[in-house]
Amino acid sequence: MVLHRYWLHLSTIVLGLASPSWASFENTRVTRSVDLGGSLVYTTTTYNVKALEDGSNVYLFALTEKEQETTSWMEAKVKGHTAPLSLENHGLSHDATYYYSVALPKALDKDQTASLVLETVQAHAAYPFPPEAAQDDRQALKYDTDLFVLSPYKSLTQTIRFNTVGFPILGYTQPKEVAFTTGTIAAKSNSGGAIVFGPFSDLPPSSNTDFIEKHQQKISIFYEFGFPMLAIRSLRRAVEISHWGANLNIQDEIDLYNAGPKLKGQFSRLEHQTQVYQHRQAPHVLTELALQLPAGIHSAYYYDTIGNVSTSHLRIAPSASQGGLPGRSSLLELRPRYPLLGGWNYSFTLGWDSHLGDHAGWDAEKGRHVVGVPIMTLFGGAVVEDAEVKFVLPEASTDVEVFPPFSPSSFSSAMHTTYLDTTGRPLVVFKYKNLTDKHTGIIYIAYKVPLSAHLKKPTAVGIAFFSVFFVAFLWKRVDLNLEK
Amino acid sequence: MALAYSLPSNLAPSTVQNTASFLRIIALAFISGAAIASRLFAVINFESVIHEFDPWFNYRATKVLASQGFYEFWNWFDPTAWYPLGRVVGGTIYPGLMATSGVIYNILHALNLPVDIRNVCVLLAPGFSALTAWATYMFTKELKDESAGLLAAAFIGIVPGYISRSVAGSYDNEAIAIFLLMFTFYSWIKALKTGSAFFGTIAALFYFYMVAAWGGYAFITNMIPLHALVLILMGRFSSRLYVAYSSWYAIGTLASMQVPFVGFQPVRTSEHMAALGVFGLLQIVSFAYLVKAHVSSKQFQTLLFVSVVTIGILGTLGIVGLTYKGYIAPWTGRFYSLWDTGYAKKYIPIIASVSEHQPTAWPSFFMDLQFLVFLFPVGVVLCFRELRDEHVFVIIYALVGTYFAGVMVRLMLTLTPCVCVAAAVALSTLLDTYIDPRMPDTTDTPAPDTDRVSVAGATTSEGTPKKTKKDKTPAAEVTQKASINDFATGFEVLGSILEKDKPPRVAGLDSRIVVVGVALYLLVFFVQHCTWVTSYAYSSPSVVLASRNQDGSQHIIDDFREAYYWLRQNTREDAVVMSWWDYGYQISGMADRPTLVDNNTWNNTHIATVGKAMSSTEEVAYPILRKHDVEYVLIIFGGLMGYSGDDINKFLWMVRIAQGVWPDEIQEPNYFTPAGEYRVDAQASQTMKDCLMYKMSYYRFSNLFGGSTPVDRVRNQHLPTTGPTLDYLEEAFTSENWLVRIYQVKKEDSLGRDLKSANAFVEGKKRKRAKPPVRRKAIVASS
Repeated sequence: MVLHRYWLHLSTIVLGLASPSWASFENTRVTRSVDLGGSLVYTTTTYNVKALEDGSNVYLFALTEKEQETTSWMEAKVKGHTAPLSLENHGLSHDATYYYSVALPKALDKDQTASLVLETVQAHAAYPFPPEAAQDDRQALKYDTDLFVLSPYKSLTQTIRFNTVGFPILGYTQPKEVAFTTGTIAAKSNSGGAIVFGPFSDLPPSSNTDFIEKHQQKISIFYEFGFPMLAIRSLRRAVEISHWGANLNIQDEIDLYNAGPKLKGQFSRLEHQTQVYQHRQAPHVLTELALQLPAGIHSAYYYDTIGNVSTSHLRIAPSASQGGLPGRSSLLELRPRYPLLGGWNYSFTLGWDSHLGDHAGWDAEKGRHVVGVPIMTLFGGAVVEDAEVKFVLPEASTDVEVFPPFSPSSFSSAMHTTYLDTTGRPLVVFKYKNLTDKHTGIIYIAYKVPLSAHLKKPTAVGIAFFSVFFVAFLWKRVDLNLEK
Repeated sequence: MALAYSLPSNLAPSTVQNTASFLRIIALAFISGAAIASRLFAVINFESVIHEFDPWFNYRATKVLASQGFYEFWNWFDPTAWYPLGRVVGGTIYPGLMATSGVIYNILHALNLPVDIRNVCVLLAPGFSALTAWATYMFTKELKDESAGLLAAAFIGIVPGYISRSVAGSYDNEAIAIFLLMFTFYSWIKALKTGSAFFGTIAALFYFYMVAAWGGYAFITNMIPLHALVLILMGRFSSRLYVAYSSWYAIGTLASMQVPFVGFQPVRTSEHMAALGVFGLLQIVSFAYLVKAHVSSKQFQTLLFVSVVTIGILGTLGIVGLTYKGYIAPWTGRFYSLWDTGYAKKYIPIIASVSEHQPTAWPSFFMDLQFLVFLFPVGVVLCFRELRDEHVFVIIYALVGTYFAGVMVRLMLTLTPCVCVAAAVALSTLLDTYIDPRMPDTTDTPAPDTDRVSVAGATTSEGTPKKTKKDKTPAAEVTQKASINDFATGFEVLGSILEKDKPPRVAGLDSRIVVVGVALYLLVFFVQHCTWVTSYAYSSPSVVLASRNQDGSQHIIDDFREAYYWLRQNTREDAVVMSWWDYGYQISGMADRPTLVDNNTWNNTHIATVGKAMSSTEEVAYPILRKHDVEYVLIIFGGLMGYSGDDINKFLWMVRIAQGVWPDEIQEPNYFTPAGEYRVDAQASQTMKDCLMYKMSYYRFSNLFGGSTPVDRVRNQHLPTTGPTLDYLEEAFTSENWLVRIYQVKKEDSLGRDLKSANAFVEGKKRKRAKPPVRRKAIVASS
């Protein structure tokens, strides 16, 4: 079994990390925009860079320790291009900074400029504050970060902007004694939903302990958030490919919890029903979830440890092979058994069947089947702390090759025996940590199934039936009685 | 001889026999299919879920067995039940059901069929109902013939009286017990007919299985001795009876003592003494017969008779004396309640509080058995016509079964197989008579039709065991002769066999058509009735309730599971939940939390403690709750939805059971109005209004009505607009339709005050804060 790690096929870069402040670049302008959400916080940082030497082609991004800890997804692009650049992690440097290097598609000559965009998603970076809220309280979150964006290069100007999703910012830290600026340090927008720190000018290279100790400041943003703050403790996806049934079964075991402020006091159904009746539902209470499932599915099921949950609606969109438009998806609206208040858990299982043809293809060149399955069902705004994707391939399939969209934290394979199996089915397991809604992608898996493998099941069933008949025949026809 | 209708005459007898045998297999397969299919309404209308209360415990135990193996299960001590006492599960259950599912589960998994244990449990009862149909077929075949057997199998397959306890999901001991009952009876009859120790042993083994599976085994323990005793009294003692009974009793009793829950009961309790007594009697009687065979003197025979009677009397006196001395346990209360229906209500209210222990209402006989009710006596009367040993058995079974079914609703189950057998005998006799094409004839020439062959095949088994063996010889002759194409001789031989029992014959075709038509109509209507009753009355899981939306679609009310799942997911794993015992098994099965009391009602005092807590004031109940580490109290409240099986309606039983232990503190009359009515509205007695159950049920209920008069939809009473308040408990969760309400017990006040004054203090402060602010501005303005 070969695990392709094509994302690591990088040009050989040799970097002297001992002196990352190689002044091959200069940031003419650094703007960071932080979209404050619930479990997930999205940052977009634009670096307008100018090369100081000819042939500068490796640019370094710097992340603080805290950012490194919470960041679960990052992507760098040249502004205006769609193709992402390959990022290479260089680990922790002695400056208490994590460096990521990126190879520019075209080396810059002296004084040439480029614009690089670094997008990241941080999981569990914002936290409920106060940590407890009563049933009819609002939901307020706090996000801690640093005032200055770190960079191993000099920066001419730098701003950092925080946006909420249409809810007011309730408070923020007013930085004191800030260098590099003369004007207002923090400016709140008129609507109250955004705040800008800066601009700061003429910053020296900041990703070093010296700068951090002298100038870096902690700031916190305190804001309201009007949606339930969802997190998934674990999501186990099992994909079973059956050639005899021409079926692809996907089953998700989901352990969901409300990561918002913990419920203060007790849950009052009366209060909840009044809120629902008056259409002023508490923002942190999850009563319903809408999920997008693949098109053309059938036999969907939704149950938990103690049985079926009857409160769900599924609108199935026809798949492309059934004459539907491509890109459509089925919509599942499901309600947990009980409304999910702050800190409450709800684990359940969701599964469906779909026509194998909708997900499989034939690689004529290599004579093998290729099946593609999305890595997970998207839960908007939720972080999946622990994910596992398990593929059960047809019995006795060989030459298995997998192509995950990004590298798993662990990968293993085993054998799995289930209905009507004699030798068992190959099983491959991918494990991921902290998946977010940016981690969309399809795991492709290629394998060969010889004809003899296809015939295994009918042979086994045939032999079983025949032996039953044979035993019945002996039972009826052979008389061992001594008396005649 | 004249025929009412013509039959093909060119068929070899062996062809007819083979075809008949093939058709029987097909018919049995279809009957099994129908038996299984009709029990699947619950799965199709709802889902594959375990039903009701006790099945949840069985399911939980089976899960332990399947996941941890038999020895772990055998030694399982469950610390979460009967908190803080715990329960030795392995020694206090009938493990047959769980062991059966465990074996099936392991076999399926060994065959690479990884079926979920829940589905094994849910579908066990339907699967065994197919086996019951087969066992009933075998039993009835011994009684009359194969065609009666097929009818009996079809009846038992779909009769509601049996379906009521064996629908898919009804994972209870009865699910397998009826099959074991019928098969034990079949092998007993077979052993008795043939005098075979082999069949006696088979009967004993199935008796052992039955003992391991269901407490109702006592029915077999007393039926077989009763049958043997009646046979002796009828002067039908034979070596066959001696061999059959002795092998059954000796092996069966020793085997049954291996079940830990039964242990030494077979030799130490009164329920089992009849079997022992008859065993002893048989030894004496057979000894007497032996001596009689060897001694001819008249005087000596008299002496022998007297001594045998004396020994018999002495033996009986011995048993009575041992009972009196206490070596043999007297009859249990449950047993007494079978003779005196008022007994349980007086002395053991826990038993009386269960609805299925009430006497049966007449309509339920018709509901459960439909037209079998009318055929049943006919079948019993027909048994008197031949009155072989097995017919005596059915007659006794019918009498005993009818009595028990009249005393207790749940014992309808044991009557049902007997009704099916007797009704099948009756109907089959009717059909035999009216389908037989031969007309009344004065000449005694044998009938030249082939149908007689199959009838002949059937009648051969009718004779006494000895005769059966003899009959085989001519049958074999027939086949031989048929092979040399000499049909006529073959039929002559057959005809001569048949002449021994001349069946009554019917003239004309019209009378046949009318009678058979009516019988068919009754059968079709029976099927219709069974399907209807099964789908509407017996297929509700009771964990899930169903109602209809306005557009006619099904709306599922899932409050129980909502609350249980909330407990399971959002409370501490060791949080003790107190509820009335009905919900104990469900809480431990679905919510996985420790409970104070459950449906295994072994400790009356513990149940009474819960009853006391529920029926006392908060101040009295609070120390009880704290001493038992109770963290949550769960109650069922149907007032909003109109669910009549709620705790307020069961409340009087809690009061009665608590009164049985604390007669000074809890008195039932205090919970009634002065006029003697049981009310929950403004006129309710003060004791009622102050008790914990009332307060928990109606806490915040009136707020739901937004100022208008609150109505309790179950009891149709108007409640006061200001509801009760709680000081020692707080509402923790209420399900969507307010069906399940869970309260958390507050911890002691940290300042050492009692919770009532602490609450008053907090509320007092709140009230102050709520006062309108002093209008300083006005003062400023005036000055």
